[in-house]
Amino acid sequence: MIDHDTSPEDSFATLVRGAAPTAFEPGFTDRVLARLRAEREHPFSLVLERQFRRIVPLLAAASLLFAAYNWWSSRDTASSVIDAALNLPRVSMASAYTASSLLETATTTEPEMP
Amino acid sequence: MPDLDQSDADLLAGARAGDERAFAALVARHEGAVAATAIGMLGYGDDADDVGQETFIRFHRAIDRFRGESSLKTYLVHIAMNLSLNALRKRKRSLLRFVSRDETTIDTPELRAGPDEEVDVGEMQQVVRRAVRGLGEKHRAVVVLRMFQECSTREAADILGVPEGTVLSRLSRAIKELEARLEPYVRRGVVLPETIR
Repeated sequence: MIDHDTSPEDSFATLVRGAAPTAFEPGFTDRVLARLRAEREHPFSLVLERQFRRIVPLLAAASLLFAAYNWWSSRDTASSVIDAALNLPRVSMASAYTASSLLETATTTEPEMP
Repeated sequence: MPDLDQSDADLLAGARAGDERAFAALVARHEGAVAATAIGMLGYGDDADDVGQETFIRFHRAIDRFRGESSLKTYLVHIAMNLSLNALRKRKRSLLRFVSRDETTIDTPELRAGPDEEVDVGEMQQVVRRAVRGLGEKHRAVVVLRMFQECSTREAADILGVPEGTVLSRLSRAIKELEARLEPYVRRGVVLPETIR
């Protein structure tokens, strides 16, 4: 606790201390109890929230691990760190044409249904 | 019906056993400490009320784990301070998206009372609260804990997770800033009401 004396600093401290808010808007206890009851009646959302908090760090860690693995395995071939982390293949005009021609070939050679 | 003279320990035992009225008595008893923290940090409004409610909800969830190493008041103030700081960070992030820093500056309002005239208690309290709200987040937290809550330097340091020396230096700077903000009222010879003298 703060020691009290009669110095000028103390009257300043008293002034500030006297301005401390003392209560919320009326009915605060009822609002807290209403929230508690609502929590008891709808525990599913609470369970979901807790599970979400547990799972999110694990998912984040797994994503980081995959990104690190991707970057490590394709760091020499990828054009940027992001491409490497996401394991995106290099795309050039040539490869794009190759891909579309492959697609065309696949659709034209598709066997007809009997 | 729980007796208002019952100790925190008795009310805690009742609340742990599922007695809602015992918990309500604890809320009513410690509302002031939580309000001083939440409103001191966030100002009056829905944000502070939400922080106050959330403080008691979290306390209720952890009531079986509360071992009483610190007083219940300190424990609740600790939760309220953490939640208030989180709310301030959220508020700052959303404010910065739309408003420039200059626009968020809080001015200390003018008093209606003239020199040597006694000011209204509520009016003076508002002036002081606005001056406190005008402090930076770290300085405000120290003022709220040391001056509003009358926590010891050690308690304030524990709650904020900083060394005691940091609390003292922040408090010293905060007081200087507050004195500068409130200086015009002192210079004008405003007479403080007996109740806050």
